[in-house]
Amino acid sequence: MAIIVATAALVLTAGAAVAQDTPAGGSAERGQKLFVDLGCFACHGTHGQGGDRGAGPRIYPNPFPWPVFQHMVRKPRRDMPAYTEKWVSDQDLADMYAYLLSLKAAPAAKDIPLLNR
Amino acid sequence: MSTPERDNDIQRRAFLKGAAAAGAALAAATTATAAEEPRPAPPPAAANLAGDTFVTRPGSDFMVDVIKSLDIDYVAANPAASFRSIHESILNYGGNRKPEFLTALHEESSVAMAHGYAKARGKPMAVFAHSTVGLQHASMAVYNAWCDRVPVLIFAGNGTDATARRPGVEWYHSMQDPGALMRDFLKWDDQPASLQHFAESTVRAYKIMMAPPPEPVLIACDIELQETQIHAGTLSIPKLVLSAPPQADEKALREAAKWLIAASQPVIVADRAVRSAEGVRALVELAETLQCPVICTGNRMNFPSTHYLNLSENRASLVANADVILMLEVADSWGVLHGLGDPWKDVRRVAKPDVKVIHITLADFLMKSNYQDMQRFLPADLPISGDAETSLPPLVDAVKRQLTPARAATLGQKADGFRTQHREMKERQKAAAALGWDASPVTTARLATEVWNAVKNETWSLVVSDRVSWPKRLWPTTEYHQMLGGSGGAGVGYSAPAAIGAALANRDRGIFSVTLQPDGDLLYAPGVLWTAAHHKIPLLIVMFNNRGYGQEIMHVQRMANLHQRNPKNARIGTMMWDPHVDFAKLAQAHGVWGEGPITDPNAVGPALARAREIVKGGAPALVDVVCQLR
Ligand code: HEC
Ligand SMILES: Cc1ncc(C[n+]2csc(CCOP(=O)(O)OP(=O)(O)O)c2C)c(N)n1
Repeated sequence: MAIIVATAALVLTAGAAVAQDTPAGGSAERGQKLFVDLGCFACHGTHGQGGDRGAGPRIYPNPFPWPVFQHMVRKPRRDMPAYTEKWVSDQDLADMYAYLLSLKAAPAAKDIPLLNR
Repeated sequence: MSTPERDNDIQRRAFLKGAAAAGAALAAATTATAAEEPRPAPPPAAANLAGDTFVTRPGSDFMVDVIKSLDIDYVAANPAASFRSIHESILNYGGNRKPEFLTALHEESSVAMAHGYAKARGKPMAVFAHSTVGLQHASMAVYNAWCDRVPVLIFAGNGTDATARRPGVEWYHSMQDPGALMRDFLKWDDQPASLQHFAESTVRAYKIMMAPPPEPVLIACDIELQETQIHAGTLSIPKLVLSAPPQADEKALREAAKWLIAASQPVIVADRAVRSAEGVRALVELAETLQCPVICTGNRMNFPSTHYLNLSENRASLVANADVILMLEVADSWGVLHGLGDPWKDVRRVAKPDVKVIHITLADFLMKSNYQDMQRFLPADLPISGDAETSLPPLVDAVKRQLTPARAATLGQKADGFRTQHREMKERQKAAAALGWDASPVTTARLATEVWNAVKNETWSLVVSDRVSWPKRLWPTTEYHQMLGGSGGAGVGYSAPAAIGAALANRDRGIFSVTLQPDGDLLYAPGVLWTAAHHKIPLLIVMFNNRGYGQEIMHVQRMANLHQRNPKNARIGTMMWDPHVDFAKLAQAHGVWGEGPITDPNAVGPALARAREIVKGGAPALVDVVCQLR
């Protein structure tokens, strides 16, 4: 319960988060490899688009602000396996965050003709 | 041109027609002459057995007559000595028509083909399997059919007379009790000791198999019975008359109707509820009369996805707010009301504590204990034993009789709200499908959308519809045959052969078949591709190739993190990355048109268009698309 409350608090403040929350020095290239090596791609998709049949939610575009992202990987809300400092450093997280931010957002559904036939 | 087989065939058909017209129990084609034929005297010891003695009317001919009397179109089998005689009887006595022999390269494929076929065709296919090893191979597929409530008519060759067994292998391949291997997931089985016994037990097995809930059955074909000259005086085949399906008790249905009419937020959850287009229509009528949203679990096409009352993707909120839930043949009723956390097994109640559950199901009639397909126990408030499809029309009647005009008017006012919810639900699905649209590997949503675009102008059927959820979420599905669900028992290896079996049924009915084929599933027994090529079964196989066991990498990842150990090792034993399997080549090696691997999402559509033309020409075609894991 405590975890949920703490997370909720972070989410509530997320709206106020600003660009400087993004960690400096994240390497998108290294982050891309980590995103695969650490298994994030399995549940969230290589582009953070989310996984089918309840694997994991979308985490990109509009990712959570950096501190929330960090918190959610360390202390997930519910079903996600937690990644601790023992194996995944803050730098690793920052790199993965940089990778997500480096992705080109997909077009909106309304702009995809195939989705509107 | 008149050939012996054709004459034979014509005679037999004329005979069967006559017998049917007489309205009597069918007597076998063999019977008349067999009655006059004396039992052959054992040849003198010095005779040339090979040259002088023949079995011109083997018992297996009569077995074929029995099978023919059941209107079975196909029998799938991997050949084996224990049924060599009936195999030959099908070809040369039966003319290899009704049933036609389908060459299967694995017994699991035979049964899974029959499983898919039965769902698409609405009637069963037969399977032959070698006793011991063949049945062992077949068993997982039989379990899938059992869990999916689908009929499969299995025949096992077996030698009971120990003194007649050839030394060595034939002993290894004989059983005292073939049904024992699968009795936990067979509805019935028998090992007949005479041809007459065979006829009666096979017709009985068929009748039992088809009574809802339909389930697999097994009949052992004794080798001696098959291979020995028919000498019985009179053989007859009992006529097949199926039992009327069990309809729920009228009083219970009246009570259910009362609850549903009075409910403020009722929901219908339909699982393996209907088996036909009529069933879909009946459920639509019920939902519309009550203005009650419907959640389909995906195991059957129960309700059109285009209907505004199909709110399947809003399941969580609908269940959470429901005051009455009508479940229709729901396998996991506890799972509708609850979730269970993993790994801490914390129970997460989804529904209100006082929700009232009505459940129309035949679950209480499947009295088996060992395999746990019964799922966790949920005591329904109004449990009603009955076949859901059969019970829907009387339930609709009960609702209509009790519904006052005033209440009907109030319920009618809900329609606009549901229409809005349905529209918003569809928009949400589209928005989610757009995410990662241009990604490589290709997203499963993009894959499903491209496939829809390729098949939308055909009379299509997605023959395995649960491996990717997007078609259920995005495709306008209006007909029962359009989505045939999944394996039932989650025994992986179902999808490829079941798709081919269903495609065979669809071929005969002029329906275009398409499937989203997981890579791991196909690699269990890829030989079924050859079966599709050989028998010219048109099927558009679109690989959902995530290059691994997607579900399993997630499990191992969970464990690594939970154990606080190296999270980078989860791919070992779960992914197939080094080397990549080349599915286009795999297809080509089996005589199937193949293209890929495709990694560029923009290349998927054109490849599908090419493959579609091959399929329309009457052959299978495979397009290998490298996909996201989920
Ligand atoms: C086994 C599946 C799985 C894996 C592996 C996984 N996640 Fe998650 N993730 C989830 C689920 C499920 C959630 C939803 C929250 C929950 O239930 O804990 C989630 C939530 C998140 C969230 C918060 C988004 C939200 O809406 O809740 C972030 C950020 C995230 N994951 C990042 C990652 C990163 C980075 C990795 C790899 C280091 C990763 N995840 C690996 C399943 C997974
Ligand atoms: C016969 C059998 N063996 C193992 C499993 C465990 N299992 C569950 S899902 C899965 C992965 C199947 O891979 P694939 O068919 O490629 O589908 P994906 O999970 O990648 O979508 C496995 C091996 C099973 N269910 N059945």
